[in-house]
Amino acid sequence: MPLWLREYSWRQSGAAVYLSLPVRGLRVTAANIFCTERYLKVSVPPFLFEAILYAPIDETNSTAKIGNGIVFFTLYKKEVAMWESLTVVNVNKEELQHLRENAVLKAHEKAKEETEAKKVLKQEHKKYALEATMKLEEAERKRIEELKEQERQKVSKELELWRSQQEDAEKQKRVQKEGERYEEVEQLKEKKKEKINKTRIPNEEIPKTKLKPTKGHGSCSIFSENLKEEQLPAPRSAGTIKISFTSRVFPTALRESRVAEEEEWLQKQAEARRTITADLSELEDLKEEEKNPDWLKDKGNKMFATGNYLAAVNAYNLAIRLNNKLPLLYLNRAACHLKLRNLHKAIEDSSKALELLTPPVPDNETARVKAYVRRGTAFCQLELYTEGLQDYEAALKIDPKNKAIEKDAEKIRYTIQGTVQKS
Amino acid sequence: MSAPCAERPQVVVHAQQSLHYTAFECRWVPRSARLLCLGSAPRGSGVLQLYELRAGRLALLSEVEKAKPIKCGTFGAASLQRRHVATGDFAGTLGIWDLEAPEIPVYSVRGHKEIINSIDGVGGLGVGEGAPEIVTGSRDGTVKVWDPRQKETPVANMEPVQGESKRDCWTVAFGNAYNQEERVVCAGYDNGDIKLFDLKTMSLRWETNIKNGVCSMEFDRKDINMNKLVATSLEGKFHVFDMRTQHPTKGFASVSEKAHKSTIWQVRHLPQNRDIFMTSGGAGSLHLWKYEYPAQRSKKDLEGAEMGVAGSVSLLQNVTLSTQPISSLDWSPDKKGLCVCSAFDQTVRVLIVTKLNKV
Repeated sequence: MPLWLREYSWRQSGAAVYLSLPVRGLRVTAANIFCTERYLKVSVPPFLFEAILYAPIDETNSTAKIGNGIVFFTLYKKEVAMWESLTVVNVNKEELQHLRENAVLKAHEKAKEETEAKKVLKQEHKKYALEATMKLEEAERKRIEELKEQERQKVSKELELWRSQQEDAEKQKRVQKEGERYEEVEQLKEKKKEKINKTRIPNEEIPKTKLKPTKGHGSCSIFSENLKEEQLPAPRSAGTIKISFTSRVFPTALRESRVAEEEEWLQKQAEARRTITADLSELEDLKEEEKNPDWLKDKGNKMFATGNYLAAVNAYNLAIRLNNKLPLLYLNRAACHLKLRNLHKAIEDSSKALELLTPPVPDNETARVKAYVRRGTAFCQLELYTEGLQDYEAALKIDPKNKAIEKDAEKIRYTIQGTVQKS
Repeated sequence: MSAPCAERPQVVVHAQQSLHYTAFECRWVPRSARLLCLGSAPRGSGVLQLYELRAGRLALLSEVEKAKPIKCGTFGAASLQRRHVATGDFAGTLGIWDLEAPEIPVYSVRGHKEIINSIDGVGGLGVGEGAPEIVTGSRDGTVKVWDPRQKETPVANMEPVQGESKRDCWTVAFGNAYNQEERVVCAGYDNGDIKLFDLKTMSLRWETNIKNGVCSMEFDRKDINMNKLVATSLEGKFHVFDMRTQHPTKGFASVSEKAHKSTIWQVRHLPQNRDIFMTSGGAGSLHLWKYEYPAQRSKKDLEGAEMGVAGSVSLLQNVTLSTQPISSLDWSPDKKGLCVCSAFDQTVRVLIVTKLNKV
């Protein structure tokens, strides 16, 4: 049951009602005040004040001032009239409830309407802004276009002017040339007559091609040119320069973007060559099949089966020298080392095998399980139980159904707990 | 972008012409508004077309068909009075043609066994001194220097040693022709070798390897003491070598830059400003660069030998014109900023680069 706040005082003018509500010690905020056209409520649990107003008010403009332990309402009446009382009297419970609900509904509706109105306004604003920016950009573009056009036209005009100047200049030159040529022809005719009298060995080279009849301007200009040619130096004495190109392994031309690929290829080639030629001298006395890593692996397996672990290790060593990229060789060698109690070597080999067995795919599951188990065993035998357990768990993760591994893992856990307890 | 947008040079397409053949080279005819396009027609014959730039359009003046497709051409060794173009074709023939009478070559020699990839000329156009010479670089691995006055035999021949497997020569450039005797030829090969031959002493002066086939090379000026050499390569890299100081072991200092994200097909220096050059890429883009010299162009190394210091390169502008590689680029020697480029999309474009005065 709420505690009703009944002490309030109010006065009114023609257009407004002033209501003062003491709220000693209570913290009232805007959220606690609910006001609709005919209903006013202040709710600060457990305190409650409500009033069904005598006449409708304009709740958008009405204000409430909170402070000094009092909430002061200024309610503007919708109709200018004097109220008999602040609240409506003779209201029974049902009506009250009804009114309350109405009020809430109305408030909701109003809120909805407001949000709708806001949305629409926002859209309009956005549209307007967009249009404005578009206009601005259009204007900018036009301006730039116009500038460009102007430039173009200016330049075109200049060009035309220059061109017409060129033409005039050329025409003049041509006219001049014609004039000169006539003079020269006369001169040369006279010279020819002289030549006939003297024997003159022409020492300037008159290329045969130039003496061919050329259309139009006649052979006269050629002669004038020849006289000028005397001023040019003689043709260079022939010489040859031998060149060699940057040496390159590949027959194609060098391209920067391919350099990385080419380096890789060369490295791989170098590695392959190294393995083949490395121990050639030692391997010369071995038979052909003994150079085959797979054959050696089989040999090793057989010797392992018979218990000849050292021989097996030898076989695997040779196989690894020939091809160090086969994980199975390392795996089997690890098993041998385990039997021989070379635990560190066993760990190394199983690790190398695991490295080579990346990426982890279902195909090399069995191999990886074996590798983990062997390494785990080696660790345990070195009393590095935590590492061993890690490897066993890894093996279990790959192959959860293997009972033997599970059992061994359990044993190790037990041992660890045992040692922890002890220490 | 150091300079604000409004101050940077802009590349404007002034005129464009669609061709019915693949143009491998386009060159301005010196002292005129005419340009020459050389290439290969679909039926496997060579094409020479002469255009004139008129009022924003290219007007075809003449067209000639040749037996073999033409790969490259230059006016470098032409005299100003008779502007003859030297071309190299797919069969290895060097020909010099008079554009007013192009039926018969003025000079022709089957100099190489395979396609002539690149050609350069020096000594003509009133630029520099010395005899006019033409150098050709070919797929047969040899680089030959020709004098138009001497028939049949080259005046210099740079060939691989007997028995050496040959590498294609992709580009050649003349340089250092500042007096009558001095001349240098630089050749770039498809395995990244760059070799500098001194023609005065007939010897190999310098070689290096830039690790990717060299597509194009150019000295910033042919007729001065060699100053800078730009070499572009595959895989989007180009190197600028400072050629003023040669170290006995380290050679020339260089700075390299990655651009275009594709093969850089051509580099051409602006004739009016030797520190500005344009590179064209396999993605149809053009980049305009400016080279800035370092505070000191040479310094002494630990043993006291002089070593060059490379400067830096900054990008002035870039533009994408086409989706196909722009295989050829040429600045007009007469009008600053006017250039022509041809791409494998069978178009030739005349471009204007603005604001080069303010760079």
